[in-house]
Amino acid sequence: MHEYSVASELVSSLLPVLKQHHGAVKRVFLKKGELRILSDRALANAFDVMKQGTPLEGATLCIEAVAAHVVCDACGFEGAPEHLSDEAMHFSVPILSCPRCARDVRVTQGRELFVDRLTLDVQSGEEHETASGSAAHG
Amino acid sequence: MHDVRFSGEDILARQLELAQANHDLFRAKGVRAFSVMGAIGSGKTTLIERLVDRLRQQDLHVGTIAADSAGDDDHRRFLSRGARSVNVNTQDDCHLDAHTVSHAVESLPIDDVGFLFIENVGNLICPADFPLGTESEVVVISVTEGDDMVRKHPKIFAQSDVVVLNKLDLADAVDVDPQRIVADYAEINPHGKIVLTDAKHERGIDELMSALDLPCTNTP
Repeated sequence: MHEYSVASELVSSLLPVLKQHHGAVKRVFLKKGELRILSDRALANAFDVMKQGTPLEGATLCIEAVAAHVVCDACGFEGAPEHLSDEAMHFSVPILSCPRCARDVRVTQGRELFVDRLTLDVQSGEEHETASGSAAHG
Repeated sequence: MHDVRFSGEDILARQLELAQANHDLFRAKGVRAFSVMGAIGSGKTTLIERLVDRLRQQDLHVGTIAADSAGDDDHRRFLSRGARSVNVNTQDDCHLDAHTVSHAVESLPIDDVGFLFIENVGNLICPADFPLGTESEVVVISVTEGDDMVRKHPKIFAQSDVVVLNKLDLADAVDVDPQRIVADYAEINPHGKIVLTDAKHERGIDELMSALDLPCTNTP
């Protein structure tokens, strides 16, 4: 259950950013690489516990998957790896090997875990600049 | 509604920075560090004892960090083998993290340690997302956990560079075919190394030493 450690880091990383914004946080969009060994359900549950008593209290965690991407230094292949899937056993796992020449590959995408954006419920007409990125009405 | 975009810094960036700091320290001090993770009862401690023995026979200086929820049984075992050891109780935490390791390392005479084995909490899943800054990670499983172990945890094995399949002596008793585990692993991780051991009876230890590129007495 290391999802609690992750949710705790998630909440504590967002709190300083929220001080620069007005309005209630409605949704937190999290990008999660497919190689991460984290349960979406456990992470959402952990977030619901860790957010209590913080400005994130009314927020829902939305987890968006990031597909793995590999680079082969031997043949120059860049793209998605093949997957080993077993529907009966409920898994589909990227094979970290070059789909073209079967050599070892570098992973360039698929291990990330970051907050991509937040949705804030603001009073009409308000707009805020952010320290970490641009703000836009959604 | 109003969307605020982020710069995309990893939530675990702090963990990665701490792991990098450990890595830099190990490199600066000439310490070769290995993280050993795996399920409860897979034989992590016995395997590390065997590695410590072989290095100590060559008068090499070995450190260990023994992590368990509670107690110091593993720590005492390492001390009795001549390792410099630090005991870490993670209490309710299911994994070690780089910060805890950095404090444990402060308690070690690091200038006098050439090889460091960090035994993680017995848990196959959680430690995988928390790098400690070691040069490699070893995942230990045993035949007693069943021959479908790789298929049950495909994501971990797809990313594990060195896997040890231990307790080979018990394979017949628990009706497990080790070759099935080897074949599953080769399918899911074509570039990984799997070493078959029976740590209790000292089988496969030299192969593990060479898989980890550790100095062996019988190699010139």
